[in-house]
Amino acid sequence: MSLPRRIFFTQILKILIGFSAVLASRAGRANWTLEHFSPSLFEDSFKTFYGNQAVIDSTDLQLKLPASAENGAVVPITISSDLEQISQVAIWVEKNPTPLAATVQFSSNANIYLTARIKMAESCHVIVIAKQGERLLKTQQWVNVMQGGCGTG
Amino acid sequence: MTTIKLRSQKLANDTEIKLLITHPMENGRNRDPINGELIPAHFIQELTVQHNGQDVLSIDMGGSMSKNPFFSFRLKNLQSGDLIKASWIDNWQQTDSAEYRIE
Repeated sequence: MSLPRRIFFTQILKILIGFSAVLASRAGRANWTLEHFSPSLFEDSFKTFYGNQAVIDSTDLQLKLPASAENGAVVPITISSDLEQISQVAIWVEKNPTPLAATVQFSSNANIYLTARIKMAESCHVIVIAKQGERLLKTQQWVNVMQGGCGTG
Repeated sequence: MTTIKLRSQKLANDTEIKLLITHPMENGRNRDPINGELIPAHFIQELTVQHNGQDVLSIDMGGSMSKNPFFSFRLKNLQSGDLIKASWIDNWQQTDSAEYRIE
């Protein structure tokens, strides 16, 4: 093997090592999962996320959404609850190509309160699931979308 | 220039934090109106909020969140001078962060 070629391979190896180190550090930090935020039918995506766990309808989760939204590109949503021990809240938009909009992890120093803005491709239910220990609590609301903006879902 | 704007408002028991991020949040299904080509997906994946170095809230998200994401949330036990730090990373591995002191 000629010298330049050896140098070339050594360099490639160094780059590969550097790249895998970057990947490893990302893996250590990130919980974000491509599978959860990929286009899919709501039922399939929901099942992938929660498995076959039972979901309980709850009136202790408050969900505020407009009854009808002029523009599906920006729909304001407010979630709140006085329940204790809620660690995670997920926002699902039933008819969006990517149904899972967001998951929110709350520490004990945060109240269960969040406002955000979501995209809606068409009129459908917005479903909020809160994880309370091992229990899954659900509330939902129908939103009429006048114009599913092209920036949706 | 930072992409993150942070503000706070003292409530009776808690402090409300408002957070606005400048980001296109493209989901990869929109077309460029001029040349008709698909605009590549470009969205924030993770947003983390820390209070004096401790995680208090984190949000994983996808392209179903609106352009220029806005959030507000309520934190307990905040004191004047406490440090709030928000940071995000998107699917292009771009990141930004901002710090804010509670008044």
